[in-house]
Amino acid sequence: MREIIAAPRPGLDLRRHYGHHQSPAIRAGGLIFCSGMLPVDPETGERRHGTLTSEAHVIFGNLKLLLESAGSSLDRLVQVHALIYDSIEYDVLNRVYRQYVASGPPARTVWAVQIEAGFKIQIDAVAAA
Amino acid sequence: MSARREIVSSPQHAGNVMARAATSEAVRGGDFLFVSGLIATDPQSGMRMAGTTASETRQILINLKQLLERAGSSLDKIVKVNVLLHSMLEAPNMNDVYVQFFSDPPPARTVCGARLPDGMKVMIECTALA
Repeated sequence: MREIIAAPRPGLDLRRHYGHHQSPAIRAGGLIFCSGMLPVDPETGERRHGTLTSEAHVIFGNLKLLLESAGSSLDRLVQVHALIYDSIEYDVLNRVYRQYVASGPPARTVWAVQIEAGFKIQIDAVAAA
Repeated sequence: MSARREIVSSPQHAGNVMARAATSEAVRGGDFLFVSGLIATDPQSGMRMAGTTASETRQILINLKQLLERAGSSLDKIVKVNVLLHSMLEAPNMNDVYVQFFSDPPPARTVCGARLPDGMKVMIECTALA
């Protein structure tokens, strides 16, 4: 069975704010699949451009809200794709990333890709439900 | 107990570009069906159908629908889609076609810009409930 996880805060509904045809997250088969998380204000949906570090803080705040609203948490992450705009920021990513996955970090792949709206980071996550 | 792993294949797959790249179209594992990154191909000949972002997106989703249904799944059972585009400037062109294939509520999705093989403009991979 496939169950939709609704946006826990109005700003996290990217479909409403930006027309992205996607649900915030889907629960299926004991897992939670999150749509690519972006650094947007959780209340207003406004883009919060900044450094990779500041954008990552906003994203993890949003991811925490989303997972906890679905009865999961950052401690239950299984797999993460960290999409960054340039691999030169790899060490910067690691410094901020480790703060959020203190206990037994999830499997992870880092990709250097082009991210929408000129953002520096996007996080794609699967967590245990 | 270990979950079953089962390759999903089709007669059309034999001659296409993925088969030559030692890639299965999809693999069933546990509750899920994991689908390879698809590019736009003619389902009969397996030849690439390079075109616009919109036309490639449409062809990929037509092929994906058939692939999932052959495997006993469907577009409505997809949980997560990853869309790779040659340029993020083309995201709206992809999205306009994408909305026509997914009824409410749509699956989770991530879209990013990446360098794709053979000059293709779109690649779509997904995970669905088997």
